[in-house]
Amino acid sequence: MWGQYSYGILVVMVAAIIAFFALAREYDDFHKFLLLDLIEIPSLGVIALLGTDLAEALVLPGLTVGIAEQLALSQIYCVKEGIKERRVSRLNIEVVAIGDAPLIISILLVVYGILLSGFTGGGVAGLGLAFFFVSRGYKENLNMLEMASGISWALWIFAFFCFMFLPDYWFTALMCAAVGIVLKVTVKMSLVGTMWGEYRD
Amino acid sequence: MTDPIGGVPFYILEFGDELVYFTPYTITLFLLALTFTVLVIISRPERQIDIAFGGDAFTTKEISLSEMKFRRFMAIACGLASMGAMVTGDIFNFTLFTAMVGITNVGIVAAVKSPHVQDAAYQYGLVALCATVPLFGGAAVYAASTGSLSMIELMKGTLPAVPLIAKAMLVIGVVGEGMAPFYAAKAEMFRAPGAPYVIMCSLSSLLIFLRVAEVVMLG
Repeated sequence: MWGQYSYGILVVMVAAIIAFFALAREYDDFHKFLLLDLIEIPSLGVIALLGTDLAEALVLPGLTVGIAEQLALSQIYCVKEGIKERRVSRLNIEVVAIGDAPLIISILLVVYGILLSGFTGGGVAGLGLAFFFVSRGYKENLNMLEMASGISWALWIFAFFCFMFLPDYWFTALMCAAVGIVLKVTVKMSLVGTMWGEYRD
Repeated sequence: MTDPIGGVPFYILEFGDELVYFTPYTITLFLLALTFTVLVIISRPERQIDIAFGGDAFTTKEISLSEMKFRRFMAIACGLASMGAMVTGDIFNFTLFTAMVGITNVGIVAAVKSPHVQDAAYQYGLVALCATVPLFGGAAVYAASTGSLSMIELMKGTLPAVPLIAKAMLVIGVVGEGMAPFYAAKAEMFRAPGAPYVIMCSLSSLLIFLRVAEVVMLG
């Protein structure tokens, strides 16, 4: 096990050194910011190499902190450069926007996510929906999504009550919690896909 | 148990993943962070004055109320994160609190409208973001080599020794996140008006640096 771990950590370290080297040679502020996104990944790699449940639990806060710092920095960058809100209605990649590809990719991701279930499955399925909304532009109202979110939350709470008061039915509770969280995370992620500011065509 | 570096813990709270302990060392740092947070909450911000060289003229800088409110909020959050970093007994929680100190340090100065200050804050944020790599990496190598992230377990001296590289990564991460004495442009950030809030940047980085010295000597 130590052998695999040390090879893995060697690869990650080399990746980190390459990324830092690129950063040291870059002088444009915005490009530096993009490179930092790349540099974040080796740090998650080092944690993931632990290969235990603990690693899974540690990757999530690590990722969250990284994203929080990037959001804060991107806000500062916008203010610093005086960038105002721009009209963005959908992802502006011609190939993606016109073809059927986003639909197929989204369906694949959603089906795979539902099969995975749980938090990871919700993340994957939500990513599929987010990608779909981003690439197609968005004109629906959010009532359906909000309702699904509410039902999944209720399901989750029910599962917790089951765990606490009826421990014999743990399997039902587990299934309820898994389905609840897959819906919840999916909805959250797909809402991210529709957030392109107030201006729409 | 041999006498640990920070003194014998008075009190250990183990609540699931959360592990908090107070030794004479950490309780001193905690009280310092608490005092300054209370000072930030109750104090009134300064009005910065520019004096024209060679004459009697001076001008007062105008600072909007919303800006001050935002900075006070960030300073309080910074104080809370420092307090957390002082008393936590878990290496990974320590790194998370440290990263939060880094974010709030940027936040304290980012609301200022001066372009110089914003540029410095952005560069500082870039360095803080870089520093999360060795910070989390160090914590992960701690877990990989000793099998535990608990400082109480590391104190006992029964675990395998922590490799030097893990300690070095942790220290580099903390230096990057809250680099009071190391970052020249932090002086540029201090051109931001608002006395009690800017002090929090320096104090928090000093505190996390003092704490990481203890953490590194444990294992």
